[in-house]
Amino acid sequence: MSKTTKALSGASQDAYFRRVLKAFPNVPDDVRDRLVQQLRREIAQVRLRTAIRRETLQGAPPPEPAQGVASTTAALPAAPAPGPFDPYSPNLIVVVRTSGREAALAALAAIDSADNLRLLAREQRLSIGADCASLAEMRAAIVTAAERRIANRKAAAS
Amino acid sequence: MAQFLAVSNRKGGVGKSTIAVMLAHAAAAWGGRRVLVMDLDTQCNASLMLIGGEGWDKAARAGHTIADYFYDRFDKVAEDESAYVVGNVGDIAHARAAPGRVSLLPGSQRLEDIQGELYLKVSKKDLDADAVSVQVRSRMKRLMKHFGMDFDLVILDCPPGLSFAALAALDLADRVIVPFRPDFVSQFALDRVALMIEKVETGEQLADIPFEQRRYACLANTLRGEGAERMLLDQLALDHPLLDARMPLLDSIARAFDWDETKKNMEEKYADALPHLRALHDEVFGAPALRARTAQA
Repeated sequence: MSKTTKALSGASQDAYFRRVLKAFPNVPDDVRDRLVQQLRREIAQVRLRTAIRRETLQGAPPPEPAQGVASTTAALPAAPAPGPFDPYSPNLIVVVRTSGREAALAALAAIDSADNLRLLAREQRLSIGADCASLAEMRAAIVTAAERRIANRKAAAS
Repeated sequence: MAQFLAVSNRKGGVGKSTIAVMLAHAAAAWGGRRVLVMDLDTQCNASLMLIGGEGWDKAARAGHTIADYFYDRFDKVAEDESAYVVGNVGDIAHARAAPGRVSLLPGSQRLEDIQGELYLKVSKKDLDADAVSVQVRSRMKRLMKHFGMDFDLVILDCPPGLSFAALAALDLADRVIVPFRPDFVSQFALDRVALMIEKVETGEQLADIPFEQRRYACLANTLRGEGAERMLLDQLALDHPLLDARMPLLDSIARAFDWDETKKNMEEKYADALPHLRALHDEVFGAPALRARTAQA
């Protein structure tokens, strides 16, 4: 977390939720209170789960926050860093066979790096030419290669 | 009548004999079954795993192999087949009172030659080639079936390829386990063996048969847990029933089949492969087709 941001907790967090919920004047006061309590519990659960995950990953417990201190160390966790790219997902042959070409192109649209598309193509044995100029061309070539691979297997099964 | 379980794949080197012997041990030790392993592979690997080189040589010299059995009994009424069987084989210790035992009808390097001779013998009766093939296969199937009276389970360790014996075994089997290695050519091998087992000619015809009605189930063997393997398994699962149980690539499995006369228990023999074998045993012998046969027996 950068030094220009401040985590909310306890009363300040509750006040923040009440301020946001005031944008909905039709929400009765008792309902607003219940929503604030529920949000507080949800946030606490998120912190707990994150702490457990961090402990599991690092093999060491997270530091205990100081008792009774409204500390910035009890802040909301930073968004987890994205994991390494998985070149086997989506499984293009499965997607093409079960959902068709358009669905496969849509699945590939989430990958916006040429390096990752080439890695996926290589690991899934979907041969694409070196002359693909754009990401769109690469995606189309990958799906075409998957279709060719499916046809290849079908031709042999007789 | 015994259950007949074939372990088959046209592709070689996928672990058919290893899986056949593991299942035999598991069915005898955990299921209390009287198991016969019928070694139909001319490599005789299952025989070597169960009785060692000297034991196999002794059986071969005595004329007590699968090839001798087919040749001797082809034109005759079946008599006492037990002369061809080596009893209580393998290195798993069984409690004296426990019924489970593994027996072996040893393999023979002469089996392919014998099949050729039987083909020629039948063809002298002026039948066309297809009719001769059907007759040889049918007779072999009946000869194999005779062993069903003396055992609870007959495991047919099939050879790679399409010999008469392999086809007869597939025809006889109540259920077929198809081990495969997760590599490029395995998918073609599975597609082809599935057509043969289900007796259809095209993938479209195969697709019309629901998974739960198919006689075969595929077993992923020698898995390394790599992403490419998972990808291939997902693709194969679109077309073929895959067993949930899977066999990882483990040194303990390779070591388990070094010939060793010292009797041991299943834990000692299979070490860290044991839970995988247990899962395989429970899944295969809990299958509806086999349960139905057990109820009839």
